[in-house]
Amino acid sequence: MGTIRQDIRYGVRMLWKYRLATLVSILAFAVGIGVNTAMFSVAEAFLLHPAPFENANRIVALVDSRPQQNIDMNGIAPATYFDWQKEVRSFDRLGAYAWDEISLTGDGPPLKVQAFQVSANLFEMLGVQPQLGRTFVSEEEQPGKDQEIILGHSLWEQRYASDENILGKNIKVDGKNYTVVGVMAKGFDFPLPAEAWIPLAIDAKNRERRDSRWLWVLGRLKQGVSFSEASAEMKAIAQREADAYPDTNKGWELRPMPLAQFMTGDITREYTLLLMGAVAFVLLIACADVANVQFARIAGRTNEFAVRAALGGSRWRLVRQLLTESTILAACGAALGLLIAQWNIEMILSHMPADVAKFIAGWKTIRLDSNAFLFTLAVVVVSGVLSGMAPSLLASRANLADSLKESGRGSTASRARGRLRGALVVAEISLALVLLVGAGLLVKNFQGLLNVNESYSPRTLLTMNLTLPDTQYAQPAPRLAFFEQVLQRLSAVPGIQAAAIATNVPYSGGGGVSTDTFSIEGRPPSQRGELRNAIIQTTSANYFEVMNIALRQGRMLSDSDGSDAPRVAVISESLARRYFPGENPLGKHIAVGKRYAVSGPHDSDLEHPWMTIVGVVNDVRYGWINKEYIPTIYRSFRQAPRYYTTILLRTSGNPSQLISSAREQIAAVDPELPLYNIKPMDRVITESIIGIAYVAAMMAVLGGIALVLASVGVFGVMSYSVSERIHEIGVRMSLGAQTTDIVRMVLRSGMLLTIVGLAIGLPIAFVLARALSSVLFGVEAADPFSFIGLPLLLAGVAALASYLPARRAARVDPLVALRYE
Amino acid sequence: MVEANGTLIKMEGVKKVFLTDEVETHALEEIHLEIKKGEYISIAGPSGCGKSTLLSILGLLDSPTDGNYWLNSQPVAKLTISERTRIRNREIGFIFQAFNLIGDLTVYENVELPLTYRGTSAAERKQKVQQSLERVGMAHRLRHYPSQLSGGQQQRVAVARALVGDPLILMADEPTGNLDSKNGEAVMELLRDLHRNGATICMVTHDQRYANFADRTIHLFDGRIVEETQEAQVGA
Repeated sequence: MGTIRQDIRYGVRMLWKYRLATLVSILAFAVGIGVNTAMFSVAEAFLLHPAPFENANRIVALVDSRPQQNIDMNGIAPATYFDWQKEVRSFDRLGAYAWDEISLTGDGPPLKVQAFQVSANLFEMLGVQPQLGRTFVSEEEQPGKDQEIILGHSLWEQRYASDENILGKNIKVDGKNYTVVGVMAKGFDFPLPAEAWIPLAIDAKNRERRDSRWLWVLGRLKQGVSFSEASAEMKAIAQREADAYPDTNKGWELRPMPLAQFMTGDITREYTLLLMGAVAFVLLIACADVANVQFARIAGRTNEFAVRAALGGSRWRLVRQLLTESTILAACGAALGLLIAQWNIEMILSHMPADVAKFIAGWKTIRLDSNAFLFTLAVVVVSGVLSGMAPSLLASRANLADSLKESGRGSTASRARGRLRGALVVAEISLALVLLVGAGLLVKNFQGLLNVNESYSPRTLLTMNLTLPDTQYAQPAPRLAFFEQVLQRLSAVPGIQAAAIATNVPYSGGGGVSTDTFSIEGRPPSQRGELRNAIIQTTSANYFEVMNIALRQGRMLSDSDGSDAPRVAVISESLARRYFPGENPLGKHIAVGKRYAVSGPHDSDLEHPWMTIVGVVNDVRYGWINKEYIPTIYRSFRQAPRYYTTILLRTSGNPSQLISSAREQIAAVDPELPLYNIKPMDRVITESIIGIAYVAAMMAVLGGIALVLASVGVFGVMSYSVSERIHEIGVRMSLGAQTTDIVRMVLRSGMLLTIVGLAIGLPIAFVLARALSSVLFGVEAADPFSFIGLPLLLAGVAALASYLPARRAARVDPLVALRYE
Repeated sequence: MVEANGTLIKMEGVKKVFLTDEVETHALEEIHLEIKKGEYISIAGPSGCGKSTLLSILGLLDSPTDGNYWLNSQPVAKLTISERTRIRNREIGFIFQAFNLIGDLTVYENVELPLTYRGTSAAERKQKVQQSLERVGMAHRLRHYPSQLSGGQQQRVAVARALVGDPLILMADEPTGNLDSKNGEAVMELLRDLHRNGATICMVTHDQRYANFADRTIHLFDGRIVEETQEAQVGA
């Protein structure tokens, strides 16, 4: 212990002696360790504990997937859920929930609330208790006995002023009376972003359905049963069901996953891992920088190490002395790095809109906690060893007899140092290039995402959602009347150029748009289990004009396509291409939903009436997640008025200024109706792609840091190389070398290292880009800017970093240099 | 353990060949040598004759290409690096021409270094360093750094460092080479005092005046021992 103290004391003394080198090393470590600690805190929140429940480790999410259609996570059909309840052996509980949105009225202004229908056992499964009252009981899962509600803590605080006596009170939910039976504890919002919970009561008809997958099912593992055992059992059951019900289940694959993974989601997980890799690259580059500085420092200490060895210092002791110094550097860097990490985390947290953050599992838990400190400590040790190992091993291998002589310059060791330093710079350039290319691809892609939406001028478009309650609007006629009145009133407001409605606008709901099954007359699915899905848009006729969607064939929807007129539809080009290749789709008949009888009178005629295709329009991108256009069917709201809709207002100026006018006009038609998600379209888009914006911004920053660190590496190596070759430069100049010859000589060495680094880095970057584009959504592998522009930028910066020492070399006075030896 | 006849160092047929860029340089040829405990010998010869190479092998800083070498009856020609390091630390004290004090350690810390590597306790280290510096008359400069001392003083500190671990033998490589004649004389007197008190010393020098301080002088030429002379009566 005493000798370690000695090592530390001496290490500090040596670092103080070489203050500039120490400062550069500490700054490199601070940046490298700081970004790693910050990213660890984010990854910890997303990947390690996104589900802060007592039983989270035993909960398994049972989701369906359909790899052929790139559907990674889908709900389960009710009939399947009830089958499982009878069959499964691995779980002691199976619970389920479904998304719901409810309108609260009567206790203040109407309010749209994100609610979930949950099975009675869900809270108990998770191991959570309400703060007030109780959770649901199994009798409340029966339709008709399900008018109870549990309030989330924020909702209870904000709407009901934390009323301690709220239990047993009736509140109006979608126009019906619900009894408040519980209030959940602060912070509990599962499934994200729940504000209230009502019982999951499925009627007899829906319990039999296998073609509608809207239930999200969770299972709690029995004690002693592993995740893999349960997965195997569930996959076997799913396979049996696919065999028994091929029409509805074939092509679907059950995908059991731990609750934490389910909550985080594949995309968040993949991008988090990508960023973890990127910050690890930055740390490696920082370590290479510090190692280079260490090499330069030990070159001046050759004699010291030889003396230590001569006096009996073992190789390990010499290595330990140098590792102590690099670890002290890493520790100082980490101290500064923690401040950088804290600042970094604050930046990350403060720039995320609350409307988006509430959907991200673990977001509320991002902070520098004790795990982050432990991680930083581990990084300090790893960085200290990584940056100090090569220099210390080389220093401890020096030739003793030579080094102890006064004039012994250890030329062999010097050459070895030179080679290693060169190799480190090559590695730095390679790593920096890979990072830069990754950053370039993501930034380019992000720009592309923004540009693609410019066609419909999102800055002058206001969007808002409403859902008509089925108490007053159970029939199509009142729904149609409501929309007609609202559109008429809004169109008359000064400043509003046009008012339109549609089911979904692009990029709403985080970019994840839902699709529905549709049928084509006379064309049953070619194979059992084939999925025909499309986005079903119920729009006003002017929607295409408001969104600048161009007509390709036939006609648009028109105001004359009323409820009594023949039912018509407009389809997107992608639907026409995929389902009517080589034929004219106009005049063909399609229906929303699955028609089991393709001809003749049937219930389906009422439920899923045929529509004649009258037009084909351009495709629209609905989110950044899907690379390909999603087939879309447009039908007239007059022929199928919906409960849920989006109102779009094209304005002449700032759309936000028209929010209150729009509210007034809609309230004049129905004062009880809450409006929500009231946002200009450009905000809808930016919030939808904010995740990729974060990743792109962070990658850009990391790429910039890598560029700076790599150039510092090149500068350091070339500076040191020049100072080692001063005598040689003097000789060359005395023999007639011009300053340009010297500059060229130094530049050539620097650029040689850079070119080797680029030559190694480019193929790696290309392979990684290919891998990224196949694994991550939104990344294109081939991009000239990333693969030509960025390597040139890196080469330019490296050339500048080599030029500065080259210029110094060219100013050497040969007389002074010749005495330098 | 010293042999019954008092032999501390024995070399038989020691050779050293350096290979540089495929050129063989024969630095030492067929060296046969014995040094007894308590003996003070000097190795003399012109520049490039192999004196320092011989001292490096004697001091286990380097190993012979061929031949046998026993230190304190133990064969040491083929030891591993770590075994050589351990023996250097416990049984050999070095004094170099260039002093080789570590500039960033104080006088005290420089002298303490061999004991630190040996794992000696802090209290014992303190006592031995103090004693050793008192022996060379440098105890009043404990907190100074080498750069704050004259050349003669630095070499005294180096001698203290060589003595502090009670080695079997002191190896001195041109100990006066970087000193003026006055300081050179003083260092030689110091070595003679140590010898009188029982120290075994092996010194390389090209200066005949200082070679005469030794009991015996071995003359090297082109890597071979060409002559041995008894000089005890001259220096005494």
